Amino acid sequence: MGGPCEVLTEIVDEAAARKVVDVVAACAWRIEGKFSRYRTDNIVARINASAGAPVEVDEETANLFDFAALMHRLSDGLFDISSGVLRRAWTFDGGDRTPAPAEIDALLPLVGWSKVRWERPVITLCPGMQIDFGGIGKEYAVDQATQLAAQVSGAAVLVNFGGDLAVTCARDGGQPWRVGIESIDAGPRRPARLVDLAAGALATSGDTYRFVKVGGERMPHILDPRDGRPIRGAPRSVTVAASTCTHAGMLATLAMLRGEHAEEFLANEDVRHWVQRA
Amino acid sequence: MANKDPGIGAAVAAATCSLLGTATPGVSVAADAEPKWDIESAFLYYGESDGRVKDLSLSALATRDFGDERKLGLDLSVDSLTGASPSGAIANSSAQTFTSPSGRDTYSTPAGEIPLDNTFLDTRFALNGSWSQPFARLYTVNAGLGFSSEYDYQHIGANFGLTRDFNQRNTTLSAALAYAQDTIKPVGGLPLPLAQMTDAVDDEQSPGNRGDNSDSKNVLDVLLGVTQVIGRHTLLRVNLSYSDSSGYLTDPYKILSVVDPVTGDLIGRTPAPGASGPTGVYRFESRPDSRRKEALYAELRHDFSGKVLQLGYRYSTDDWDVDSHTLESRLRLPIGGSSYFEPHVRYYQQTAASFYRYSLANGALPEFASADARLSEMSAVTMGLKYGHVNAGGNEWNTRLEFYRQTAKAPNEVLIGNQPGNTQMPDFDAVILQFGYHFKL
Repeated sequence: MGGPCEVLTEIVDEAAARKVVDVVAACAWRIEGKFSRYRTDNIVARINASAGAPVEVDEETANLFDFAALMHRLSDGLFDISSGVLRRAWTFDGGDRTPAPAEIDALLPLVGWSKVRWERPVITLCPGMQIDFGGIGKEYAVDQATQLAAQVSGAAVLVNFGGDLAVTCARDGGQPWRVGIESIDAGPRRPARLVDLAAGALATSGDTYRFVKVGGERMPHILDPRDGRPIRGAPRSVTVAASTCTHAGMLATLAMLRGEHAEEFLANEDVRHWVQRA
Repeated sequence: MANKDPGIGAAVAAATCSLLGTATPGVSVAADAEPKWDIESAFLYYGESDGRVKDLSLSALATRDFGDERKLGLDLSVDSLTGASPSGAIANSSAQTFTSPSGRDTYSTPAGEIPLDNTFLDTRFALNGSWSQPFARLYTVNAGLGFSSEYDYQHIGANFGLTRDFNQRNTTLSAALAYAQDTIKPVGGLPLPLAQMTDAVDDEQSPGNRGDNSDSKNVLDVLLGVTQVIGRHTLLRVNLSYSDSSGYLTDPYKILSVVDPVTGDLIGRTPAPGASGPTGVYRFESRPDSRRKEALYAELRHDFSGKVLQLGYRYSTDDWDVDSHTLESRLRLPIGGSSYFEPHVRYYQQTAASFYRYSLANGALPEFASADARLSEMSAVTMGLKYGHVNAGGNEWNTRLEFYRQTAKAPNEVLIGNQPGNTQMPDFDAVILQFGYHFKL
């Protein structure tokens, strides 16, 4: 999941708590195994190695493609699960290496969901294209794990996968969970904000660790798939509260993609949000 | 370009439901957690047996967390003390009359009873403020200022502390420094050391046995501590402390009875004609003007699956020869999810100060002498029970009832003549009843 995963619960009984932790961990491993782009033996690897051949996918993968396709349309092409190819040019390691325009332009023909043929349950990529679920997978896993936790226990549980989190319900006595939003400068020990969460989820999109410097300007890892360049004026971090982590994460990502208009976008969506800018 | 599609939120929500296989969107209840005041308030009654000291106290400790582990603490308390306390004079076979601390009145004690000075009445007000915050990555600093006032005593103090975490925060070292300056301004002025109690005087005159109106005392405290996590359920804390007091350390209201060096009986006295005054010879006490104390404190906390045992031991020694041992234990027993019982026992014992006297033999005077029972051989036992309940809003109310018994013993070597057979020490029992409410604002 690209970060520490934790389960917080108020269950006193060790066996009951263990049961919750086990289903959450199993869920995390399952989704990681199935959708990680770092593996060579899963559905993502199979699609990316298809070299233009059609690939039939299972129900769950198909649901994710339907979702990604809709998000692509709703975002006017800003959200695109085929944009990962651009990482060949951009390495967001905090350094200042900027790719040459020709280098980026050479990759653009391999980017764009509109070039993908998706006819459920069959997907066909152009040769050289790749897809990944990096922008959805973690939040999706949080929601799946939280649903499972709620099924095996009526107790209050918080599932946190690398900063994206959801709760099953309020804590004992109706107390909300208190969650710190990591400060963009100081790290986890000094939360920028404390949020009381009694229901639903929080997701954060940001560049705390992944950025590149262009002429001294810190550019976030979020790229515009239409021109292959970093989104200008994007906030350093956007956190959104919504009923599910997937929903929150999607709104946070879409806000980041709006660059300097992130706040405007979020205000229009009528969700609780916290934007950090440099 | 941002706001062309106001329907996107609903569409994203619907798509999410479809992806996750949930029928309807759930709810999100998220709110900014504002910095809140966390307040521990308490009402305390302390009452000693036989109509002695009673203390009614109201206190509130308010803490506000500003995030980033920056915390402000304010501690406010008001005490109302009434009742009588032992003056230090010994019981006598006939009634005794004393001049009151002001030097302008007299009071009497019946035969056979330990003399109590019943002019004890005071209101004390105290305020402490502190601030703590992280400093560098593994350090926390804290600093505080304190002030308290009662009609004959003012206290002002400052403290500074530093803690550092080691070993993945399993070990914490702390160092603290505190400095206090107290001013004593007793009713009627400061008695001269070991001066004899004189007849009461009227308002125009001043008692002849008094020195300045006020004096001061300075206290420096240094503390070094280590807290160590031992396994998942055990915590050990060890503190070493050093305290250096200097200045006026005498209790201006305490006296000693002067006795016949052979029989040990009070030496009688007749007030001047037309005056009222002491019917025996009494002298004000005198203590050294410095005291250095070292103490070692060790505390172990262990969690037996929800039941938390706390065991503490303290050893203290000082250059007045008062050595003390304190053993204390608390056991927190949860009942269900929201209540707990907490039994508490404490045992304390100390040796007598080198200048403790039950009485003074008539004749050459020592440099220092005090008959304050708190400086004699003494032991005390406290037993109590606390009950706490956390309500649905997360606030806790609690009540605590404790019994305290203090027993002093005059060392044989300070007893004179027939005193070993009829020593009466001002022992007492006390009851402590507290109601507390811990809430957030």
